[in-house]
Amino acid sequence: MDTFGLLADGLLAALQVHNLLYALIGVTLGTAVGVLPGIGPALTVALLLPVTYRLDATGSLIMFAGIYYGGMYGGSTTSILLNTPGESASIVTALEGNKMARKGRGGPALATAAIGSFIAGLIATIALAFLAPWVVKAALAFGPADYFALMVLAFVTVSAAFGDSALRGITALFIGLGLGVIGIDLQTGQARLAFGIPDLLDGIEVTTLAVALFAIGETLSIASSRSQIKEEVLAVKGSVWMTLEDWKRSWPAWLRGTVIGFPIGAMPAGGAEIGTFFSYAAEKRLSKHPEEFGHGAIEGVAGPEAANNASAAGTLVPLLTLGLPTSATAAIMLAGFQQFGLQPGPLLFANNAPLVWSLVASLLIANFMLLVLNLPLIGLWVKLLTIPKHWLYAGILTFATLGTLGANGALSGRLGPIPFSFELLILLAFGLLGYGLRRFGYPIAPVVIGLILGPLAEQQLRRALAISQGDPLVLVHSPIAITLYVIAAIALLLPIFLRMRGKGEVLGQLAANED
Amino acid sequence: MSLGEPNLSRRPDGAALFIALLLAAIAAVIIWQTSMMRVPPIQARVGPQVFPYVIAGGLILLAIGTALSAWRGQFPAREKDNYGPMLWIIGGLIGQMLLLGWAGFSIGTAVLFAFTAKGFGRGPLWQTLPIGLVLSFVIWFIFSRGLQLSLPMGPLERLIP
Amino acid sequence: MNKLFLAALISGALALPTYAADYTIMAPAAPGGGWDQTARSMQEALQAEGISGNVQVTNVPGAGGTIGLAQFVNQSTGNPNALIVGGYVMVGAVLTNASPVSLANVTPIARLTGESDVIVVPAASELQTVDDLTAKLKADPGSVSWAGGSAGGVDHIAAGLFAKTVGVDPTLVNYIAFSGGGEALAAVLGGQVTVGISGLGEFDAQIKSGDLRALATTGSARLEGSDIPTLGEAGVDLVVENWRMVAAAPGITDEQKTAITADVEKLVTSATWKQTLETKGWQDMYLSGADFDTQLAADIDATSAILKDIGLVQ
Repeated sequence: MDTFGLLADGLLAALQVHNLLYALIGVTLGTAVGVLPGIGPALTVALLLPVTYRLDATGSLIMFAGIYYGGMYGGSTTSILLNTPGESASIVTALEGNKMARKGRGGPALATAAIGSFIAGLIATIALAFLAPWVVKAALAFGPADYFALMVLAFVTVSAAFGDSALRGITALFIGLGLGVIGIDLQTGQARLAFGIPDLLDGIEVTTLAVALFAIGETLSIASSRSQIKEEVLAVKGSVWMTLEDWKRSWPAWLRGTVIGFPIGAMPAGGAEIGTFFSYAAEKRLSKHPEEFGHGAIEGVAGPEAANNASAAGTLVPLLTLGLPTSATAAIMLAGFQQFGLQPGPLLFANNAPLVWSLVASLLIANFMLLVLNLPLIGLWVKLLTIPKHWLYAGILTFATLGTLGANGALSGRLGPIPFSFELLILLAFGLLGYGLRRFGYPIAPVVIGLILGPLAEQQLRRALAISQGDPLVLVHSPIAITLYVIAAIALLLPIFLRMRGKGEVLGQLAANED
Repeated sequence: MSLGEPNLSRRPDGAALFIALLLAAIAAVIIWQTSMMRVPPIQARVGPQVFPYVIAGGLILLAIGTALSAWRGQFPAREKDNYGPMLWIIGGLIGQMLLLGWAGFSIGTAVLFAFTAKGFGRGPLWQTLPIGLVLSFVIWFIFSRGLQLSLPMGPLERLIP
Repeated sequence: MNKLFLAALISGALALPTYAADYTIMAPAAPGGGWDQTARSMQEALQAEGISGNVQVTNVPGAGGTIGLAQFVNQSTGNPNALIVGGYVMVGAVLTNASPVSLANVTPIARLTGESDVIVVPAASELQTVDDLTAKLKADPGSVSWAGGSAGGVDHIAAGLFAKTVGVDPTLVNYIAFSGGGEALAAVLGGQVTVGISGLGEFDAQIKSGDLRALATTGSARLEGSDIPTLGEAGVDLVVENWRMVAAAPGITDEQKTAITADVEKLVTSATWKQTLETKGWQDMYLSGADFDTQLAADIDATSAILKDIGLVQ
């Protein structure tokens, strides 16, 4: 049967009433668990996966897809409303989304996230279905030197997330880079900066750092601030829906986010969150309202959310065609697929075609269900903001520690006779760091970005140089790398050039005037 | 957050100078630890020490920049912080951490919950502790029994077979 | 990837409601991986065969199993119901991490299963046989880049031993570590490296599809029905097998050790276990008693020697 026929069959199967019901249950469960602060999509999927085992193959796939999308969207909800991203991929969403929510524009922020996720998911899933073999071929062409170039580009462009002071932004980034060094060095097996503590040998968990800096740091910062503790947050100001202006500003961002997110998600060593960084940077550069960035620009929510979803579909490309999980969520999905009898790998499309197509159909249906379920609920979600602060933050800390314990809860520390969870100690330490950063006006996101990108950049650089036996020319040997460096140079120099021409400002401004 | 106009007084900012010192100290620790690393002979090229040194170097430059910026009073103005509430919350986190291992998830988390609420001005503890206890027990039940998440058990959790 | 642990944990836990345990098996790893699956398969078989009424599995991930091992030694000494799953990776990790506890601190019971590594090249590679690889390695050791799992792991050890066996200085091996076999697979498929070396399971699908060419496995015998030669058959006298074992707590009595060994023996001869081996594609490498002790000591010596040769351990 041809591709279209198979997809149509899959869709027909998925569209049966009981399967739609499974999709709805999956989306509801996924959203309900995913929306808890500190519990990201990976944990959500892991927790709810067994629920699907009791159904038949199609039903379980559909419910699984629903949980997956529900969990992702639930994570964005807390990012936007409470500034507590549960996973690295929704950190960027929190940057602008939470600013919007604080201005009473939480409704439009959630809406643009939901619709953007839907559109990106739709396009990317279709791209997955039809382009997977070609996309994976292109992704495999990326060698270590090319990945290093990509990381350089990421470092150059994510400076958009640095906030209003270059000095403090770069300091935050370097703190993240420093944290990234902790643990066993992959290339030599030697411990670095572990201070003899076994728990540090595996490095700092990105999720723990993100939850600590955002959820714990935010709680401490608000509790200690005399003005913020009393500040009334407006749940809704103006319409809870997107205005025409919002639509106009959102749709190009959705499409750009999709185009950026999908290929990056498809790279075997890409990492789902990198697409959201690029998307945010692109939106900031291209926006007609750059002054709004940092104060609640809707493009800054629309683009990264679309990129996040597109890159999630993108991660399915190496997962299905090579059996290669490239993110925590993908690793859990792999476990799920195997349970459903899908054996990801090069022979999957040949051997398991019907199942692949019912998976694609399930993803499409679940994606749609998410929109159906969540758009009407937006009015309800924003009510979260009206919960009295003492209950709200007590609840946030409860779930943040629950998520941390659930993901890595070994009671491996010991204080005299009392065993304790070392991961919670790390959570507390970084929570205090998050408070300190906020207090002195340092941006938070670059710390997490540094922790993610630093080790990637280092490993790829060292791999590239090892393979070339130390010849540094390998770094600019491939056309892919050269292209990426050129883009990075343009991204770096163009704004400076424009500024010099436009306002006659001096280059030195960049470093000297931090405020 | 407290981002606002720069500190208009333009006097050296003591706390910010301290940050500069802290950054320099971190850099020193990184250099010290990295210099003590034993590097396997196979890594003649870019070895495991290069990145730590580069990062430490960057941190030193940033420490200098921070010190200059602090000297000129260029850090954003801060409001005076209220440490009482913060201590309640930190106390709650430490309490939970130390209680989990033997008193179980519910009791430990109830302490975190009640202390946090207290930090936000909601008391008294004899009211919020039971609320926290019921909530965390329900959470424990849902996640531990319903979703099979492994969470620490204590006397309370063991009551449920 | 600690989240993987949840997925595996949950699927295992769902299948088996927990009662008071006769055995508690620790899987010192972020599950979904080999040790976790081994522990959970043991749990299933022990219960299904009625060898033990109730079995619980706990996961303590981190640092190549050494965190779990340390916790096991601290908390289970003298406890005849406590078991820990481990394996060859742990032998290396104990050495490279300078772990304060080692396998000498527990009571090894038996080797259970194993998997050999396989050396692969991209389909388009000029290397056709192990001899081609040996020749290239001898001519210029640095020109052969090996992609495999983390440094000091079984893949790295196998690559180092290969060089040593064919008479090349193992410190010259140009080993490129990737986090897990999956990423290494992408590097081999993309032609970024000369050869890939990792567990057979990692490369199996691509070997079958013809995208990769298997030069040899590092096993002691050919897999049933496989046309991939072993290194021995290809003229390189080397066997590296990534085995998994089960150990009991330190400080148990000889009677207790005998009882546990008897239970494990019942386990490995059971139909349920045989079925598990088949579905998971694990090789049966059961070895217990003095034979295992000797083998373990030999493996630790060899590993320690090669890690020193490579320069990872002093």
